Amino acid sequence: MNANSNSLAVRGFPSDLRAFWAVVRREWTVFVRYPSWIVSLLIWPVIFPMGYILTARALSGVDGSGLATFKTSTGLTEYVGYIAVGTMIWMWQNIVLWAVGYSLRNEQLRGTLESNWLSPTWRFSYLLGSSVPQMVSMLLLLAISGLEYVLLFGVKFNGSLWLTLLVILAAIPSVYGLGFAFASVVITVKEANAFVFLVRGIVMIFCGITYPLMLLPGWMQSVAQWLPQTYVIHAMRSAALSTEGFTGISHDLLMMTVFGIFWLAVGYILFVIMERRARQTGAIGQY
Amino acid sequence: MQKIETLSQPSLSSHLRALYALIRKDWKQYWRYPLNAVSSVFQPLIWIAPVYFMGMAFSVNGKAIGFSQYSGTTDFMSFILLGTVLESFINAVFWGMGYALKNDMDSGVMESNWLTPIPRLLILVGHSVTNLLITAITSLGMLLFAGLVFGFHTSGDVMQAMLPIIPMMIGLYGFGFAFAAVVMLIREANTLVDVSSFLVQIFSGSNFPVNALPKFLLPVALALPLTYGLDAVRSLLIGTQTIMPIRLELVLLIVFMFVMLWIGIVTFRSLERRVRTLGTLGQH
Repeated sequence: MNANSNSLAVRGFPSDLRAFWAVVRREWTVFVRYPSWIVSLLIWPVIFPMGYILTARALSGVDGSGLATFKTSTGLTEYVGYIAVGTMIWMWQNIVLWAVGYSLRNEQLRGTLESNWLSPTWRFSYLLGSSVPQMVSMLLLLAISGLEYVLLFGVKFNGSLWLTLLVILAAIPSVYGLGFAFASVVITVKEANAFVFLVRGIVMIFCGITYPLMLLPGWMQSVAQWLPQTYVIHAMRSAALSTEGFTGISHDLLMMTVFGIFWLAVGYILFVIMERRARQTGAIGQY
Repeated sequence: MQKIETLSQPSLSSHLRALYALIRKDWKQYWRYPLNAVSSVFQPLIWIAPVYFMGMAFSVNGKAIGFSQYSGTTDFMSFILLGTVLESFINAVFWGMGYALKNDMDSGVMESNWLTPIPRLLILVGHSVTNLLITAITSLGMLLFAGLVFGFHTSGDVMQAMLPIIPMMIGLYGFGFAFAAVVMLIREANTLVDVSSFLVQIFSGSNFPVNALPKFLLPVALALPLTYGLDAVRSLLIGTQTIMPIRLELVLLIVFMFVMLWIGIVTFRSLERRVRTLGTLGQH
């Protein structure tokens, strides 16, 4: 006897697509419902790097003696653009972790996850759908950040716009793949905050958002090589700030592609495992 | 006019019991997620780790000569660590009240809590007490760990440093009351809490001496009472130079304490009344 004979639902590709679109629409409606997102988009790109830039300014000293030491030890001529680009990538990854990583957890907290799970839809669409409005807002954030850095901090983007866009495109799989993997872990372990703090903390310390990696001890430099954000930050600085051209980012692009495939695969596999585990333990509605 | 019949008999002891119940509930909820608790010890360290490595690039043999021209000390890590600890307490009041109300809204208990015969300001204070206790524990852990990793040196008297801390923290409750009322009205806390606490952190000089700010931003820093609090505590504990004579800073802090408490209570009462008139207390 056919197990599905009692079900009225007829699943197919169009129905999965409709479900995916419904999730995208719902997430977008929730997102624009709270107008503070506009404030966030405008304010965060300025205030987040500002803390580090002003600290660097204080470390430079009144007579610039600290800055002279900085130039000697790092080989860099200025720190504002360097810090601005590094912190921008960190913000991107951080927001993805909160928004995509929290999407299923938020459903769990609202008490709608279990009922959604029972609907005859492709379950990965809940995660995929929630990342689309997020991606749109992130592209906006990156564009606004660039504009504000030029206007407020006087950063000179001497690089190429097309190469910068290429870096953003190449970074998407690893940044969002990590978000998917993260969402699946959080729904099982439940302590989302701690995991966000851990992952973004690792990026913050090891990937050199405010300093060149050569300042780190050897073992920390080795860890940094295994993190995709290290390559994203380096490539973005090279593409946006320097005139090195494609050769300056070719190695980073290769590494970003490899890490992108890896993290998307890990994200999907973890989701499948989590889904099976949730059905076996019946714990999906608990929080 | 006939007196409204009520079964409740609010008294000082019933208020204290309510306060205790609130503290117990928040305490229990916090430790229910132990990983979050551990992460709150390391979280501030993660924020300042990039500053440490960046600072080393500006230093010779661990001494930041440029930094001392603004602050009076070459030990930039002790300066920043002390600022981080004080900021944690400041955030505890911000988050403890405004954010706790948002949590109550999301969990759907805000309206029922509001119907109980407990002074509403007491509910806010109750939410902040657990946060302050937890901050004290995590800050101690953080300082011990940071002392080992980055080095932390203090030469002053801790009891003397309480002189600026006490009026600063009491004044902060005024900020917190007003802030919680705004959260109630707009029903969104995350952006408001994050942005405002971050801005306050920057302009009060948590990570750098405020005289390093560009001239046009300096008035913002000088308008914040917290700037004088942080400045005075650092001077008493690690011997940094102050923006103003320390006695004057203490007087300013005491004046700010009364002014902020008054503004906070008046704002809270007025906005809370508005929320009740609008009938949006249970919405989120």
